[in-house]
Amino acid sequence: MLAYTVRRVLAMVPLIVAIATITFVLMHAVEGGPFDSDKPLPPATLENLKKRYGLDDPLPVQYLNYLKNLAQFDFGISIANNRNITDIIRERMGVSIQLGIATFLFATILGLGLGIFSSLNQNGFGDYAGVFIATVGAAMPSIVLAPILTIVFAVKLGWFNVLSSDYGFTDWFRGDFSNWRQVVLPTVALGFLPMAFIARITRASMLEVLRQDYVRTARAKGLAEFAVVIRHAARNAMIPVLTVLGPIFAGLITGSLVIETLFAIPGLGREFVRSVLIRDYGLIMGVTVFYAVVIAFMNLVVDLLYGFADPRIRY
Amino acid sequence: MAATDQPIAQPYDFLEQQLHTKQRGLWAQAWQRLLRNRLAVAAGVILLVIFTVSLAADFSRTVQRYDPTVPDFQATEQNPSWDHWLGTDTLGRDLWARLLQGTLFSLKIGLGTQVIVLLIGVTIGMAAALAGRLSDTILMWLTDLAYAFPDLLAIILLRQVLLGRDWPIIGEGDPQIPGFNGVLLVTVIAISFVSWTTVARLVRGQMLSIKEQDYVAAARAMGASPWRVVRVHMLPNTLSAVIVSATFGIPLAIFAEATLGFIGLGVPPPNASLGSLIGSGLDSIQVHPVQLVWPTLMVATLMLCFTFLGDGLRDALDPRTRH
Repeated sequence: MLAYTVRRVLAMVPLIVAIATITFVLMHAVEGGPFDSDKPLPPATLENLKKRYGLDDPLPVQYLNYLKNLAQFDFGISIANNRNITDIIRERMGVSIQLGIATFLFATILGLGLGIFSSLNQNGFGDYAGVFIATVGAAMPSIVLAPILTIVFAVKLGWFNVLSSDYGFTDWFRGDFSNWRQVVLPTVALGFLPMAFIARITRASMLEVLRQDYVRTARAKGLAEFAVVIRHAARNAMIPVLTVLGPIFAGLITGSLVIETLFAIPGLGREFVRSVLIRDYGLIMGVTVFYAVVIAFMNLVVDLLYGFADPRIRY
Repeated sequence: MAATDQPIAQPYDFLEQQLHTKQRGLWAQAWQRLLRNRLAVAAGVILLVIFTVSLAADFSRTVQRYDPTVPDFQATEQNPSWDHWLGTDTLGRDLWARLLQGTLFSLKIGLGTQVIVLLIGVTIGMAAALAGRLSDTILMWLTDLAYAFPDLLAIILLRQVLLGRDWPIIGEGDPQIPGFNGVLLVTVIAISFVSWTTVARLVRGQMLSIKEQDYVAAARAMGASPWRVVRVHMLPNTLSAVIVSATFGIPLAIFAEATLGFIGLGVPPPNASLGSLIGSGLDSIQVHPVQLVWPTLMVATLMLCFTFLGDGLRDALDPRTRH
């Protein structure tokens, strides 16, 4: 297990270096530098600026410096607002993580529940309702769902703020949930698609598992139905669900770009969109590499979770 | 089986003829199964109608009714009426015309992306499966790399790189203000470059398992050239999986484009894409919510229909995996 973990972490290194390299090449392939503006700067000023940000070195030197800094989690300085990118990421991350956790819990708990419920009522009314929600939900990305939810629940019913422009970050880990009113709509909008996805897979694998001999044995020895379903069936049905958690994490991250922009939530996703629109190359590179690391790490966590869910898997 | 009066020199032609009749039969059967799936047929018909109407609007002013890019300040933020079927936006532009323009753009993106995805994906998947161990290792590492790169970020980066350059087709004068077709082409290329991995893996897997089948060994034993084996026997057998994957790929591409358009990286401003329509609709959600309804409904309809069509195709083309 430990050897496997170490091997996987080491295998992440070339992948991340490759992603960082591609990002570096792409950013330098863009014609025109970050100091281009309508009014050309005096040559002396331009030279000083380039020196300040290390852009006057030859490209290979810039590349090596970039990698060296990356290894120390130093993403450089944002050209747009002259701040350390690592600081910006750290500052914006909290809100995004908060939204991510809420969405993830929403998607997995509801998705598993819906899937299990559907499988227990196979071909009954409850099953059809569940399958309908899962099918429609699979075609409802955040960009579609968010406007619908906003029109219905914020504009017509007035239950929530229309746009959480006053999104307040409160520390959930200290038990302060006072900003829940702003979290509900983004969470549902972002979490509905993965929820539908999880429900679909859970239903299919539950139907498979419920037919197994050990479930019949558990019933035969007189276990309560609840214990049979939860402890014997659902635990085994979880394994295929785990395989899709990796892609779901990646989807949550890209989805947060949209949702944070849509609901005006001051997180990392919105910061990325902003940095693209104003061509803040340093920040774009930093956030891209950061996201790549997070996704690679999450995939590793999911792979390790297999071992807990299925003791037959040995590393 | 083989008749004794068949000339021994060409047993392969005879068998091949048999295989071909069989193959056509399979496709006809799949078509029959697809027609029996009411949901898939309905989805297909709706998509066909949407595609025809939005294409017609591009050619004929009678269908389009108004110029989608020309503002009319006498008629801003109108609700649906006989003059403006879907109402007008903040600048008085007709929403029916803008919706059709955006829909056509999205459909072009979805279909165009799949053309490139299939070209890249099938080529790389085939090369990985058939061209030896080393190429397999290298190509699969490339695939893993493209898969690990955060999708939307890669699309945005590629788009910036391609648009920032003065390419012959894209840069119509000022590269800062790219033309309509330039954006279409660049967006298609950018989305394709992150979406080919699924098809490549699929084709590789299919090819690896088909390679071991008896009919491939038989064809080879009868003296068919390697290229002929691939073209006649292996490629057609991967086709059904590839078609299904392409159908599911279209809504993903449409969604990616809508996302780009929404965050302001869509078509150049006076033009409309579904994403940019949602974006501008959201800006005026409190005063004029109807502007947001149409593009949202259209994206949802397109995604639902392509998903149902994909489900139907999968069931029709591979009855064994029927759910």
